[in-house]
Amino acid sequence: MKRVKNKKNDVTVIAGCGRLGANLANTLSDEGESVIVIDKDRDSFRKLSPSFSGFFLVGDAAEMMLRNEADLNRAHSVIAVTNNDNSNIFIAQVAKEVYQVDKVIARLYDPERECVYQEFGIDTICPAVLSAHEVEKIMGTGPEVPES
Amino acid sequence: MKKSVFLIGGFDETRLLAKSLILNHYRVSAINQNMDQCRELAKIDSLKVYHGDGTKPFVLEDAEVHHADIVIALTPRDEDNLVICELCKKKFHVKKTVSLVSDPGKTEFFRQMGVDSVVCAIATITGIIEQQALKEDITSVMPVAGGKVHVVQITLPKGAPSAGKKLWELKLPRDTIIGCILRDSRSLVPRGDTRLAENDQLILIVSEEQEQAAARVLTGR
Repeated sequence: MKRVKNKKNDVTVIAGCGRLGANLANTLSDEGESVIVIDKDRDSFRKLSPSFSGFFLVGDAAEMMLRNEADLNRAHSVIAVTNNDNSNIFIAQVAKEVYQVDKVIARLYDPERECVYQEFGIDTICPAVLSAHEVEKIMGTGPEVPES
Repeated sequence: MKKSVFLIGGFDETRLLAKSLILNHYRVSAINQNMDQCRELAKIDSLKVYHGDGTKPFVLEDAEVHHADIVIALTPRDEDNLVICELCKKKFHVKKTVSLVSDPGKTEFFRQMGVDSVVCAIATITGIIEQQALKEDITSVMPVAGGKVHVVQITLPKGAPSAGKKLWELKLPRDTIIGCILRDSRSLVPRGDTRLAENDQLILIVSEEQEQAAARVLTGR
């Protein structure tokens, strides 16, 4: 594996290069962050913009995380946005518990599992809940400030 | 009261396990997300079958998993198994969770995340194959304590250097215990002055590293 030549603790690892993953990777890379993107499908990296200057790894993100092929000791944040909730949970837990990564964010499609993972110190994002808040805001029916 | 066991995911494993657990007087329920497999499972007498994705909290809740004493996660995906065990442990306060893993490298992590027992089918099978193929005198191996300790059965061949000797005369490596001697279909509990004989079957409790050394002292190979 290629080593990222950078000083300690300044890498963001993104698991899953879907629309959200690729978008985040492009934005962070444009802002000058070092980014490592992992996806098991080589074709999905076409979503990355030509100016993307990070690394990408092809393989199962959960396994690569556990074997530390993504160099998690140097990561300050890990974002798990694969299309499978359980994989995201798995990846987030590896990052938090095994490698003590500072900031760990996981996307969960199903908000029901959220309660269990909050106590781990893993931030979860749930698209359905966020969308519902937005819709409520537009309709003017929901609470002014979305509860956090 | 009968202990209640939940088998989540998996088909062939669930079928075999369910039958054997029911024979041993457990109350057994299965959760499976494939309808055809559910129908097949439902043919087993006194097995309760629920159709649904066991990694979803509401499915577990409907199946009343909080009454379970033991939950065994048998899906083919390691991530799913971990989520099942954690949900059962944290949300439904199940006392004991057991998980199958396919990647041996994940075993330790699963334990760290609070899964009570982790079973790696591949590691177990390779262990058995290795033993069957390579170690002729050692006839059965049961790994305990995560494979660090082995319970081994060794038959003393003709002309074994240890035959005719008393146990205390043998220079067995450390971390080796002869737990039992089987001779002419009788079992002896060995003492220091027990004399070994050809064709004795010894049950050894031995650490992984010392297994070969112990076998060499006993069988001369």
